[in-house]
Amino acid sequence: MGMPDPVYLDHAATTPVRAEVLEAMQPFFGARFGNPSSPHRWGREARTALDEARERLARCLGATNDEVVFTSCGTEADNMALLGVWRAREGDGRRAVVTTPIEHKAVLAAAHQVGREGGEERIVAMQAGGLVDDRSFDALVTEDVAVCSVMWVNNEIGVLQDVPALAARARARGVVFHTDAVQAFGKVEVDTRRMPFDLLSLSGHKIGAPKGIGALYIRRGTPMEPLMFGGEQDRGRRPGTENVAMAVGLARAAELAVAERAHEWEKLERQRDRLEAALLARIPDAVIHGRGSPRAPHILNVSVPGVDSESMLMALDLRGVACSAGSACQSGSVTPSHVLSAIGVSPDLASAAIRMSLGALTTDACIDRVAELFPTLVEKARRLTPA
Amino acid sequence: MRERVLVAMSGGVDSSVAAALLVRQGYDVVGATMKLGCHGDELPDRPCCSLDSVNDARRICDQLGVPHYVLNLESAFGRDVVRDFVDEYARGRTPIPCVRCNTFTKFRDLVHKADAIDARWIATGHYAQVRDGVLRRGLDPNKDQSYFLWGIARPVLSRMLLPVGCQSKAQTRAVAHELGLELVAEKRESQDICFVPDGDHAKVIARELGAGAAALARGPFIRRDGMVVGEHDGYARFTIGQRRGLPGGFSEPMFVVEIRPATRAVVIGPRADLLGRLVVARELNWLVDAPPAGAGVEVQIRHRARPARGMLVRVERDEVEVALDEPASAITPGQSLVLYDGATVLGGGVIERGGRGLPVMAA
Repeated sequence: MGMPDPVYLDHAATTPVRAEVLEAMQPFFGARFGNPSSPHRWGREARTALDEARERLARCLGATNDEVVFTSCGTEADNMALLGVWRAREGDGRRAVVTTPIEHKAVLAAAHQVGREGGEERIVAMQAGGLVDDRSFDALVTEDVAVCSVMWVNNEIGVLQDVPALAARARARGVVFHTDAVQAFGKVEVDTRRMPFDLLSLSGHKIGAPKGIGALYIRRGTPMEPLMFGGEQDRGRRPGTENVAMAVGLARAAELAVAERAHEWEKLERQRDRLEAALLARIPDAVIHGRGSPRAPHILNVSVPGVDSESMLMALDLRGVACSAGSACQSGSVTPSHVLSAIGVSPDLASAAIRMSLGALTTDACIDRVAELFPTLVEKARRLTPA
Repeated sequence: MRERVLVAMSGGVDSSVAAALLVRQGYDVVGATMKLGCHGDELPDRPCCSLDSVNDARRICDQLGVPHYVLNLESAFGRDVVRDFVDEYARGRTPIPCVRCNTFTKFRDLVHKADAIDARWIATGHYAQVRDGVLRRGLDPNKDQSYFLWGIARPVLSRMLLPVGCQSKAQTRAVAHELGLELVAEKRESQDICFVPDGDHAKVIARELGAGAAALARGPFIRRDGMVVGEHDGYARFTIGQRRGLPGGFSEPMFVVEIRPATRAVVIGPRADLLGRLVVARELNWLVDAPPAGAGVEVQIRHRARPARGMLVRVERDEVEVALDEPASAITPGQSLVLYDGATVLGGGVIERGGRGLPVMAA
C-alpha cells in the first residue's frame, strides 16, 4: 500500500501554471524573443503581443489599455499604489494613508514606508468578523488622506469586503482608493466601469500564470509617481524591458479566470462547505475564522483549540496534505497571524490556525481525504497534549 | 515499517552528519530547524537560527531526500532560556543557557513535536552517547558535550539518538565529505551563545531588564574584609575567577571570588580565595537512580574541566553536596555540577555555592 495521492490545499499561496497559459507563453521563449521597444520585425512582434496582452487584461477588468501596468508581482503593484500615489499627492495637503490591519504585508509595509517618509499611517479598526468597521473608516478617511487601501478578499481568512461601497465613500472625500485583489480576482466580479475604485492589484501566480508577473490597474487621471526610473516603458510609470511572455501568460490566465469565475465559485463553495461541515461535525469546538462574514469560497481557516498548527502542518505534510498557517515567513517558520490578532482572535487560538485553500487541483476526493484525515490527526494530537 | 526520527538540525556539520547517518541506517528521517529568536538575521555568521543556517539545513535535507521543517519555538525559548539567563546574572550568578536549551527546548518541546508526527526517536548532533537508556560521554574527549545534557528528563533517554557521539569531530567532517555534504563539511565551529550577539551578554541583560538594571549599575569592588578598592560598572559583567577588568596595584594577582547582588559588590581576592572543596547544587536531575550519600563520584564543575574525584556527602530531594578530594578553583554559582561514574552521566544540578570545606570557614 503506497501513500495516497498528495493533496494540495494551498492555492492561496500559489497555483500551478495552466497548460493554456504555458502554451500561450511558449513562442516568446523561442522565436518571438524580441524587445518591444526595438524598431524592427522582432520588436514589432513583441510589441504587438504585449499590446494585445494589455488589451485582453484590460478587457477582463472593464478597463482601457492605458489603465493597465504590468508589474513583477502583486507586492510591486501594492507598493506602487500606496507609495506612488502618496508621493504624488502629499504636497497637496494629503499626507495620510489609510489601510486595514488585515492587509498583506506588501500593503502594510508600504504604508509603513509612507510613515518613514514623513506621512501618516492610519489603520482602520476591524469588526470581530473580519469586516472593516464603517465608523472607523469614515473617521479616518478624511480630506487629508492621499490614498486608502482595502484588501478585497483576505488571503488568510477569505473575508470579502464591500469594496465598491468603501471605494465610493473614499471617492466622496477625494481620496484615491486602492484594493489588493490578488485573492479576489477570478472569484469576485471586477468591473472598473461600475465600481469606483481607482487602483487594483493583481498577481499572476494565484490564477494559473507564473510567479513573477502582476499588474496594477490605474484609473485614468489618478496621480502617480513611478517607483523606478529608467526608460519610457509603460508611459514611464514602470520602466524596464517588459516581460512579454509573462504578460501574455497573465492575460491568458485572467481571461480563463473571468470565463470560469461563476462556475469556479460554485464548485469551490460546494467543496468548502462540505469540508467545513465535515470538520465541524467531528470537531465540534473547531473555530472557522470569518465564518459569519461574506467570504470567498476558496479559503477555509480553522483553529482547533489546543492543537498547535505547527505540529498539525507537519503531520499533514508527512501524510501528503499541504496546508498553511496564515502566511509563511521567509524562513518557512510559522508566526502568529497578524490578521487573526487584528480581528480579535486570542493568541492561543491564532497559533492553532490552519488555512486550507482550494482551487484547480481540488477534487471531491481531496476533500473527502482531508475531511477524514484532519479530525483523526486532531484526535491524536489531543491525546498527546499535556493537560 | 521504518522507524521515524525527528532530527534537530542547526545547519551545522554535526547535525547534518547526524541526519545523514540516520538516513544511511535506514531511519525515516524528518529534519527540523528550531527558530529560537536569536536575532539571527542580523548576524549572518551565527551558528544557528540565522536564515543562512535554516537554508543550509533545508538544503541538506533536500540532498538527503527527507522533509525539513522550521519550528518556531521563540516564545518558549525566550521564557525558559533567555529569561532565566538574564535572571541568573541579576542574581550574581553565571548561567549556562545551553543546559536549559537542551533540557527544555531540544529534549522537551521538540519531543512534543516528535510525538505529533509519530516519531519514535529524536536525534541531535551532540557529542555524547546513549546506550541502554544511559547517557555517556562522547567518545572524543575534546568534543564531549555530556556536561550540557544532564537536565534531560530520564524517560527521554530511551528515545534519543546521538549519531556523532561515537566519533571525533575530524571523523564527522570526513563523513560529511564522504557523503557529499560539502555545504557544511568545513563549517566553522560555534563557541558563542546563540542569542548573545558578539558575545556581549550585557547587551541581552540591558534589553531584557532595561539599561538601568541593578546588575549593570555601578557598584564597589571590595575585599573580603569589606574594604572598598574600586568601582565597577555592573556586577553582571563579572564571573567567579575573572581577572579582566579588576583594579590593579596589589602585590599578587587578584580574582573575582564572590558577587553580592544585594550590595552590588564584586569581591576580589588572591588565587587562594578561589579554592573550595565543597559544592552544593540544586535543581537536580538524575539520569540513574540517585546514589546514596557516601558514594564516591566523579564531578565536573565546568565544561572542559578535568573530572575531579569526590564524595556525595548529602543527597536530598532538591539539593546535593559533594566533597571534593582535592580543592577546586572558582566553583561558580549558576554553572552545572555534573556527576559521572566513568563515562556514565549520573545526573547533575545547578551550583548554588561552593565552600572551603574546612572546619573553620573563612568569613
